Amino acid sequence: MSEFLETTIDKFTFKVATDRFYTLEGVWAKEENGRVRIGLSDFVQQRSGDVAFAEIKPAGTVLATGEELAVIETIKVNITYTSPVNGKISEINPAMADAPEAINQDPYGKGWLAVMEVVDWEAQRAKLLDPPAYFKIMKGQAEEEAKNL
Amino acid sequence: MTDPIKKVIIVPCSGIGKPYGTVSREAAYAVTEDLRPGQTQLVPLALLVLGDEQSRASVSACPAVTIDGCKLACAAKMVQQSGGTIAKEFAVLDVYRRYKDLKPQGIAELNEGGQKLARVLAEEVTAVVDGLLTGRQGGENA
Repeated sequence: MSEFLETTIDKFTFKVATDRFYTLEGVWAKEENGRVRIGLSDFVQQRSGDVAFAEIKPAGTVLATGEELAVIETIKVNITYTSPVNGKISEINPAMADAPEAINQDPYGKGWLAVMEVVDWEAQRAKLLDPPAYFKIMKGQAEEEAKNL
Repeated sequence: MTDPIKKVIIVPCSGIGKPYGTVSREAAYAVTEDLRPGQTQLVPLALLVLGDEQSRASVSACPAVTIDGCKLACAAKMVQQSGGTIAKEFAVLDVYRRYKDLKPQGIAELNEGGQKLARVLAEEVTAVVDGLLTGRQGGENA
């Protein structure tokens, strides 16, 4: 069970799971028995709006950090998210085909996007943000957006 | 023995300035003005929010079909808070997922995809209305 860092800005509460690592754009990576599960942060899903479609690169695709992993279409925008690690996609979330709203409903659980096989996770993890670091950045982004509401 | 249903209330999203809200309203207009004008009545969500007595009486007297533009589901919530019975809840996003080529864009004026999506949605609402009026369907939430 994940634990969370949490902040409330205006009427919105944002959670950051403490058991994984993050990119600046809010993609999370969680090591699980030698593989890395990937998804989107709570802040990203709330800011982007209700997800209509999620198109994820198929299993077998080899990606370098920063290459396109998924395109998410929401009621507001289409956003391309990039891979947080180097590796090969071994699994994509089957729920994304029929129920991509899982990203909104459970961003750190059932709303995961893909699982990747990676080499040298420790070295790759070092390039990602730990939960407190991402929490601080996310909070700044959320406060900035709140000024425009 | 219950009295037959003579009218169905249609309550769309009030999201002004958002394509999905506009789709919900265009669909509601199509049902209440073109497809089933005599058997349906549009109740503006804003009047329910304001506590308008006539609107509250309408949703209390007849089953309602709500059409929401986002997961906040304001239309469904306000019908419930107003003492109404929801026969069926529609969400524009659910319909769009089944018709991916009909992406709604534009706000004051919907693009062609949005207009077609509104028509598809209106036809689905009309089918529910017909079911309620003929007693074939009580609605999934009834």
